[in-house]
Amino acid sequence: MGDVRSAAGQASVEVLAGIPALLLAGLIALQLLAVGYAAALADGAVEAGALAAAAGKPASAAVQAALPGWAAERVDTRVDGGEVEVRLRPPALIAPLAGALEVEDSAWVRPAS
Amino acid sequence: MGSSRLLIATDAGAPGDGVATAAAVAVALAARETTDGAGVLFVEAGARARRRPTLLSSTSARALEGLVAAGDPPAAAAARGRICWADLELEDGWTERLAGMAALTRASVVAHLPPAAWREALDDPELAVAGVVVRADPREHRHLLALLAAELRDDGIPLRVATRPLGLVGARRALAGLDPGGPAAGRARRIAGRLAPARGQALPLVAGLCFVTLLVATALAALGGAVAATSRDQRAADLSALSAARSMRDDLPRLTAPALLPGGSHNPAHLERGEYLARARDAAVEAARRNGAGAIDVGFPDAADAVPVRARVKLGADPNRWAVAQASPPQAPAVESATGDYSGPLATRQGKPMRPDVAAAFDRMAAAARRAGVSLLISSAYRSDAEQARLFAANPDPRWVARPGTSLHRCGTELDLGPATAYGWLAANATRFGFVKRYAWEDWHFGFDRAPVPCSAASNAPDEADGAAPRSMPEFVPAAYRPAIAGAAARWDVSSNLLAAQLHAESGFDPRAVSPAGARGIAQFMPGTAASYGLRDPFDPDSAIDAQAHLMSDLLEQFGDVSLALAAYNAGPAPVEACGCVPAYPETQAYVARILALMGGAGEWVAPLEVRLVA
Repeated sequence: MGDVRSAAGQASVEVLAGIPALLLAGLIALQLLAVGYAAALADGAVEAGALAAAAGKPASAAVQAALPGWAAERVDTRVDGGEVEVRLRPPALIAPLAGALEVEDSAWVRPAS
Repeated sequence: MGSSRLLIATDAGAPGDGVATAAAVAVALAARETTDGAGVLFVEAGARARRRPTLLSSTSARALEGLVAAGDPPAAAAARGRICWADLELEDGWTERLAGMAALTRASVVAHLPPAAWREALDDPELAVAGVVVRADPREHRHLLALLAAELRDDGIPLRVATRPLGLVGARRALAGLDPGGPAAGRARRIAGRLAPARGQALPLVAGLCFVTLLVATALAALGGAVAATSRDQRAADLSALSAARSMRDDLPRLTAPALLPGGSHNPAHLERGEYLARARDAAVEAARRNGAGAIDVGFPDAADAVPVRARVKLGADPNRWAVAQASPPQAPAVESATGDYSGPLATRQGKPMRPDVAAAFDRMAAAARRAGVSLLISSAYRSDAEQARLFAANPDPRWVARPGTSLHRCGTELDLGPATAYGWLAANATRFGFVKRYAWEDWHFGFDRAPVPCSAASNAPDEADGAAPRSMPEFVPAAYRPAIAGAAARWDVSSNLLAAQLHAESGFDPRAVSPAGARGIAQFMPGTAASYGLRDPFDPDSAIDAQAHLMSDLLEQFGDVSLALAAYNAGPAPVEACGCVPAYPETQAYVARILALMGGAGEWVAPLEVRLVA
């Protein structure tokens, strides 16, 4: 039985040591998901902007309306004729990383003449 | 492990037993490291007797035996069970020879040294001692152990003390490179584990968990990417169709502009139909290209109509990705947004009150039903909230009687029709007259589905004309002519929108207009036609509009189609009758297109068109 207890003790020590690694992996996964979510949001927002542009309405307002509150300060919208471009900085665990993880999406529709 | 690990083992007291304990620790290490394949080298300094290879020995031990025997300088080695035994003479330079042996292999090295050699081994940086095992009796050797512990702690080297002997059998087994068995084996394993905390069973688990976490995140990302790609394709189709519709909306006034100027010269503002469609197609193709879609297939479902306003785009790559967009009048709000009771004028049919435009539509439907041999009866129409409250009180089951304030009957647009024998005809024909069966389970309940929306503010706006006047007359109609148009429309059962659009196209509502061809007045009657419709003064707008409605009513009856009736109004019935089509006169074609566009709300004269996806 000493054998098993010994192994168990060893394992628990290693689990303790592995927790930071596991946490890191979890955080990386969360960050990936945040980037993916931001990409999905940008996708929907840019479409809303383009639809508004097609209807002759302001695209920037439509982009803002299509995003949740937190994203409003993290988004840059550029409208050039029928081109609507949305850049969204996802929430980042390390703040300076947000710029590097920025997602971008653009769409074009014939603008109202 | 990548580098060899040197454990110093020794015995403070009873010589002999310490070697067995050290061997047991080496065996435990070897058992743990079998997966690694490197084995364990057990170095015995100052051995009293030469150890011989055992009959049974592990592959790694035999490999080590070969390595050590062929080393420089070669040393005596013997594969014994799980471990490889090597001799070490404690002569000058023994630490270098020990380091050389350790460097031969990736295997862990357990060196059993007499106490006198400890200091030298620990001080030699080349040996890089990873831990020390001492076989000692803690009571007897406590001063020695305390001293050793203090020194090793300063050097950061872990120390483990084996306080109990292995026993005779255990010692023999350990010396043979085998597990000593029993509690002794457990102790040896614990010492080995603490001195060499290498990979344990949990490490793969933790690594696996990290891997799985990242894998799940990656899988989710891939899934999201696939969904995004699909939605991107659909977006490209949508935006292409919208771009085409947008182009049509912007070009519509040019399509409906007359091809020839009054002087007979070409009108530069006019756009040919082919060009109009080509421009829409170009807009769709450009949108597809700029949204990352490849080849697309652009179609115009209503290309046969006088004024096409729909575009259908299919992505070449994926036949399931398609979209239809159209330029159309702004959407009326949905029925759900209805507020309040109807408060406008009511017309009465069969003693039942209803909205006047509903009554007019009912008249047309009842006439058509009569021709089909069906007599329609109205059992209920407009019901005020007060009446609904009485009904509900009598039968308080919301499945059969709507609660007061929720029934559409209060909007004046709903008719409960009978008899039951008419249900079939109604189901098949009511939509032609703007009536829809509101609820699948109420065969008798038909609602009027054309603008304005039931109970909307627009439906309550009082109209200048009483009676069956559609109240949605375009904005461009001057107020002075609204009553005349509404009255004529009701009298001759012609759409007031049609009459208004015609008047706009004919004379721009100028009752004194005279065309170069001799057409006169607000409705531009030629003298012959005016005479046949009893119109004495074509410059009198009221009678001219009435005659226009009469003529249109006749033409609609004759040709059964708005486009043909309009063509006949413009070019005379003969050429229309001859081909059964809108004759190929540019002026007539533009006239028909322009009026149809005006009726649909197109052009800049009416509320601007919206561009929207319809499928």
